[in-house]
Amino acid sequence: MIEIKKTYKNYVGGKYVRSESGKTFTLNLKNDSFEVPLTSKKDIRDAVTSSKAGFEKWSEISPYTKTQILYRLSEMIEGNKDSYVDLLVLCGSTKNQAKKDVETAIENIVWYAGLADKWEQVSGNLNPVNGEYFNISHQNPIGVVFSLNSNNNSLSSLLNSIIQPLTVGCSVISFSEESSIIALKFAEDINNSDFPAGSLNILSGQFENVFEDVSKHVEINLISICKEIPNEMLTKIQENASSSVKRIVNMPSIDGISSILPFLETKTVWHPKGT
Amino acid sequence: MVNWEYSESVESQEIVNIKEKYQNFINGKFQQPNSKKYINTISPSTEEVLSKIVISNEKDVDNAVQSAQLGFEKWSNTSPHERSKHLFKLARLIQERSREFAVLESMDGGKPIKESRDFDLPQVAANFFYFAGWADKIDLSWGAKSLKPHGVVGQIIPWNFPLLMLAWKVAPALATGNTVVLKPAETTSLTALLFAELCEQAGLPDGVVNIITGDGTTGSLIVNHKDINKIAFTGSTQVGKLIQKSLAGRDVGLTLELGGKAANIVYEDAAIDQAVEGVVNGIFFNQGHVCCAGSRLLLQESIHDEFVAKLEKRMQTLRVGNPLDKNTDIGAINSKEQLNKIEGLVNEGVSDGGKIFQTECELPGNGFWFKPTLFTDVQPSYSIAREEIFGPVLTTLTFRTPQEAVEIANNTEYGLSAGVWTEKGSKILWTADRLQAGVVWANTFNKFDPSSPFGGYKESGFGREGGRQGLLSYLKAES
Amino acid sequence: MNNKTAALGIKWEDILELVFDSRIDSVGLNERVDSLATRSIKKESKLDALNMIVSMCDLTTLEGEDTEGKISQMVAKAITPDPSNLDIKNVAAVCVYPSLVSIAKEKVGNSGVKVAAVSSYFPSGQVPMESKLLDTKYAIDSGADEIDIVINRKAFLEGDYRKVYDEIVALKEACGDVHLKTILEVGDLKTYENIRKASLISLAAGSDFIKTSTGKLSVGSSRQACYVMAKAVLDFKNLTGVSAGIKVAGGIRDSKDAIRYLVLINEEMGDEWLTPDLFRFGASSLLDDVLKQIKKLKTGAYQASYYFPRG
Repeated sequence: MIEIKKTYKNYVGGKYVRSESGKTFTLNLKNDSFEVPLTSKKDIRDAVTSSKAGFEKWSEISPYTKTQILYRLSEMIEGNKDSYVDLLVLCGSTKNQAKKDVETAIENIVWYAGLADKWEQVSGNLNPVNGEYFNISHQNPIGVVFSLNSNNNSLSSLLNSIIQPLTVGCSVISFSEESSIIALKFAEDINNSDFPAGSLNILSGQFENVFEDVSKHVEINLISICKEIPNEMLTKIQENASSSVKRIVNMPSIDGISSILPFLETKTVWHPKGT
Repeated sequence: MVNWEYSESVESQEIVNIKEKYQNFINGKFQQPNSKKYINTISPSTEEVLSKIVISNEKDVDNAVQSAQLGFEKWSNTSPHERSKHLFKLARLIQERSREFAVLESMDGGKPIKESRDFDLPQVAANFFYFAGWADKIDLSWGAKSLKPHGVVGQIIPWNFPLLMLAWKVAPALATGNTVVLKPAETTSLTALLFAELCEQAGLPDGVVNIITGDGTTGSLIVNHKDINKIAFTGSTQVGKLIQKSLAGRDVGLTLELGGKAANIVYEDAAIDQAVEGVVNGIFFNQGHVCCAGSRLLLQESIHDEFVAKLEKRMQTLRVGNPLDKNTDIGAINSKEQLNKIEGLVNEGVSDGGKIFQTECELPGNGFWFKPTLFTDVQPSYSIAREEIFGPVLTTLTFRTPQEAVEIANNTEYGLSAGVWTEKGSKILWTADRLQAGVVWANTFNKFDPSSPFGGYKESGFGREGGRQGLLSYLKAES
Repeated sequence: MNNKTAALGIKWEDILELVFDSRIDSVGLNERVDSLATRSIKKESKLDALNMIVSMCDLTTLEGEDTEGKISQMVAKAITPDPSNLDIKNVAAVCVYPSLVSIAKEKVGNSGVKVAAVSSYFPSGQVPMESKLLDTKYAIDSGADEIDIVINRKAFLEGDYRKVYDEIVALKEACGDVHLKTILEVGDLKTYENIRKASLISLAAGSDFIKTSTGKLSVGSSRQACYVMAKAVLDFKNLTGVSAGIKVAGGIRDSKDAIRYLVLINEEMGDEWLTPDLFRFGASSLLDDVLKQIKKLKTGAYQASYYFPRG
């Protein structure tokens, strides 16, 4: 019997899409191999457009609803646990490792689901200014985040590269290379969830093909690098980023309050108190 | 009836004692610099030479950084509570000598004594007082145990609020356990050098605060020094970008406080008279040399004519002249270079088709001056509506609906500050939520406090100064 | 409608719109007024200012114990404020209760000092309209040049602005050409928005002056209230072309404070308002301090009160 293999596509603007270039590359996993999209520069531009629209929608959704959507995601992964474990095993994990990885990812999502309606209370505060003024500092999500995933074939690693910006209301373009298969699989759960189209976009490809465009794209507000990359590449990214004062985070913190701070802009509002 | 004119009421300069020339302050004392290159520092209101400062070279920067490294060892071995007390002491000394600082600031920088005396200096002291108390409470600030100082921080500050920008930089850096190499702007170094004397007087451990003078070349040497752990810069977006670029690929912390082109939105249901005052304060405070100045006035069409009439009338009462006269509202433009820039942009505004109003006032013969200026009939595409002028020049645009106001306000690469004027509470909150700006002043403008974080969105920079959030600019998470 | 409102062509509806448009941010206003207080007045300017203050004073006594003797003393002082310095001209007016108007009028003679009477059942105004009119007519019949009335705060605070307006219209009609100053009693109105509303209503009803206070409350005039009134006067001028005057009274005790009022008026309204025709101080103790300061400027020595005759 000829095995009919599932075709994985990029996930952009709430839709599964091929690379406009039509190109793919082969992921040679330990126990299998897959053809996945080779994201082009044009694909990046399209993803940014979708992400901008996704940001508008996702950031407007109430914190309480964000919590519900994130928690529901953990339930969906729980429901599909076996298929994740199978895929991770194809990638080379033992069954136990795979199970543990999925469970860690679920626990992590639940933790951040519970943070979505609280972080503003932790990172913002009233300021006791001198004079008759009410003064409050609170945070807004920074906008469109491009996140480079690590090469670990791991659901929990993938989650750790996207969950923090998502929790605070950013939209995310998640880019994976060798670990693409997990990300593209994860897109299915996102597609079935209540995340608005464009809030999370998932791409596979070779970062070296696109990093120049990514780092120069003014409408990407922040680049989060969760993978060790050569210093020359990091230098180039940071140099390009400087032309629009773009924020770059290299190996961001993955737990606690400091894990969300890079994705926030503090806004301070003053108002007089009078009669 | 008598025609009544205020007579001049000039603050005495006797209180300040300016040296003929200055050395760098390194390792707790003034030291002969290696560089032989000195420049004159002049008073922008008289063009008189006040003193000479050195343009520090590579060796000087290296000496300062080495001193700060040694200082960091001492400062790290000083208990947080002792560090706190050092800062409290500095705060008190600033208060005690505030008149001297204020007069010197006005002489060297051109700002009215009314502002240096009633705004800059009280704020300087307040910053040291505020951050003094954080020094031994860092563990309470973010509930994260792993926050540690960067080490040696290079700080490069602008000429618009010379001593206040020093306070914004030095106070939180020291409170969080860092040591600093600070470079004031080359046109306004004198108050920083007087502050150095204070550090000596306060018994601050040697090397904790190092102050070296110089221009952009010196600044660049600091940025590129291999042993700097963090750079904090306030200045133009253009230079900020260069710094960000220079630091690419290096493990050096960076916070940037850059330019702005703030919208000051006046809705038709505003308290108009207070809005006029707020708009005046928003753009003419400190000659408009303010990165968060409300330089774009956004008027709802229905009140445009009434508002402009009141604004022009109010502008006419602004007194331009001798910064040391207590009745002066607008002092001198900080430098010839800045004056040329303002003049260039204003000329462009006129040739683009903007309608210009300037107050009738006599400007002194010597020094650098610019009349308070208002543009109406401006299109959003004009350079006066897009570029940061950094002078006493206000540009008026109009809007019809709140949605349109927000769109125009956000239609800029900057995102430092914004103003909203309406007596309708829900409209304030709706507008403030949508403005992409680090500070939103609602029914007020240009208010500052050490407890209130300040800093920009977009190309106005990153990081915050002031408040609990400001501590994060000088701490890093250590794994 | 009285002659003045008729001449202006102002209708109640016109003013109502302005009244309900009153929006003031108190913190911003206080800040502006505080910043005006940092103006520094020195040397010749100060002497000019002090002389101006004397010429703007309404020397006032409004007590149950007022007698002919007291009025005589006060009028003498009004005509010749400092017998040792005849360069100092007379004050603007003396201000008394209606029953003392005829005596005051006789004493001022042709000195140029005007006689002002408080009426309409000053200071509370809590009587029927007929009584207010009677009180006012009596003062006018006794020869008063100027009438200071109080607004109906009861009606104002109950929101019956129309009644406040109608009463002033009727009292102005009774005044005819006699100058009408309408006291808002800002200490009762409390908020700046109330002060603005009362100012606009009073101006629209034909008042020639609006005045801060009766001087009978612990809260008298303030520069903040004066600022609100100044803005209302300017907006009213914008609407009608009429320049009304402002009188500040109650709690202005020294020269420094009085000069700050002049600075405020100068900056906000312009020097055309710096005349007794458009700006007055209701004063009893203020005048002595001003005279002391003038003498100090001339002699260089600080003065004692007993150098100046009682008023």
